[in-house]
Amino acid sequence: MNKEDLYRSMRKAIVEGDKPAARQMALEAVRQGLDLNEVIDKGYVPGIQEVGDLWGKGEYFLPELITSAECMKAAMDVLQPEMTKANVKSRSLGKVVIGTVEGDIHDIGKNLVASMLQANGFEVIDLGTDVKLERFIEKAEAVGADLICLSALLTTTMANQKKFIDLLGTRGLGGKYKVLVGGAPATRKWAESIGAQGYAENAALAVREAKALVGR
Amino acid sequence: MKQTILDLVRERPVLLDGGLGSEIIARGLPQGACPEAWNTERPETIKAIHASYYEAGSDAVSTNSFGGSRIKLAAYGLEARAAELNAAAARIAREAAPAGRFVGGSIGPTGKFLKPQGELTEAELEDAFAEQAGALARGGADFLIVETQYDLREALAALRAARSAALALPVFVTLTFNAYPRGYFTLMGNGVAAVAEALEKEGASAVGANCTLDSREFVGLVAAFRQATRLPIVAQANAGRPALGTDGEVAYSQSLEEYVGFVPAIIEAGANVVGGCCGTRPEHIRKMSELIHQGNIGTRRDQ
Repeated sequence: MNKEDLYRSMRKAIVEGDKPAARQMALEAVRQGLDLNEVIDKGYVPGIQEVGDLWGKGEYFLPELITSAECMKAAMDVLQPEMTKANVKSRSLGKVVIGTVEGDIHDIGKNLVASMLQANGFEVIDLGTDVKLERFIEKAEAVGADLICLSALLTTTMANQKKFIDLLGTRGLGGKYKVLVGGAPATRKWAESIGAQGYAENAALAVREAKALVGR
Repeated sequence: MKQTILDLVRERPVLLDGGLGSEIIARGLPQGACPEAWNTERPETIKAIHASYYEAGSDAVSTNSFGGSRIKLAAYGLEARAAELNAAAARIAREAAPAGRFVGGSIGPTGKFLKPQGELTEAELEDAFAEQAGALARGGADFLIVETQYDLREALAALRAARSAALALPVFVTLTFNAYPRGYFTLMGNGVAAVAEALEKEGASAVGANCTLDSREFVGLVAAFRQATRLPIVAQANAGRPALGTDGEVAYSQSLEEYVGFVPAIIEAGANVVGGCCGTRPEHIRKMSELIHQGNIGTRRDQ
């Protein structure tokens, strides 16, 4: 299979949620000795981007999104050990610390954003739900994060997104991290009013926003 | 024989309540606390909220048990108290209900996913919902309302469980939909026609939608349901989207007048049971009650 056909098949495997094919194509790329960073960028990432677009249009829903993200992971599970072996650094778009803010246990949206960011090439550290605001900062400092993503479903806990940004300021860390906020009650206007750098209405738009914030 | 809520549905549009969680929060539920815990800690507060809805004209209220399945309660370490908290929820509403009014036992989603997207099996879901439904029935619920479901498979599991654990009670089922160019779909991609057909086959007494969309958007959604089924249709819209002021005050994008203004169209489109969801309060219900009892909204007899 030539490179262009291989890339096309990779993209198709992700869009159609065909895990065995996604894995098979990755093995084929390794066998052919291709540049694996290029394989990811030109083969798999366009697939997950198309999935995001289909989700945004209401053609794809949560089951398709999760299946495609799993296909992406199946391919990465083949490619990443090979890259480590060959001492090739895998290109990361940046490090993201994500979680649902304290007082809130809702995680459907947060999990979707985390898996889509990961599938698109971000390194994601998911702190789970009901995460103390301090903990976001500790983790971001420890791993050298680029982005911090805060989710909240309730109007009451959404206020913690503002508190978090205030807390960053108090710690003299304002501006060090780009902060993205999301969740059912959050809006662009809310994000702006509290001084967050990013906002997204859904997981597909979160990827776009995150990429823009890291200059990609 | 005592009139049931289904008898009333055949007579005229039936009025449910508005938001409950938001009323509980307004009365000081601490952040991160379990709303259902107030069924034993602050029963008088819950009872007063129900009473305010009955006073505003609700024919039925839904109990404070939305997150009362043991799967959801586990997030607060309260799973062992599921039966107790649900029975208490129904008892409190029963105590608040004037003679001839109804108590709807609320069953919300677990917040988890069935396999393969999640870890749950249908059997686990049915066990948890059966425990909840049985307790609501014992506490005195007149009917059950499975609501805000985002997955048809979970809604069906709840419906089956409710019908087996609370044999005598009618079960209403509402899912929550988003609007797309191709129509209305749940998070999992279930469309209106498929939802209505599957729920009807599994024995739902009434079907419909709640949450997510506002009352203007509900007009089309209800019409889509009416095309798909002859069952009574339930419609509980949000008062638009919430916005949080920097002062911490929550305001919803639809005003009271705008919200209620679409209620006649929702009923005309085919809704038989109406009420409110997030952002609606007793004053919304009071206005809706005036509309319904003025009698200038016709009752459709599609059933």
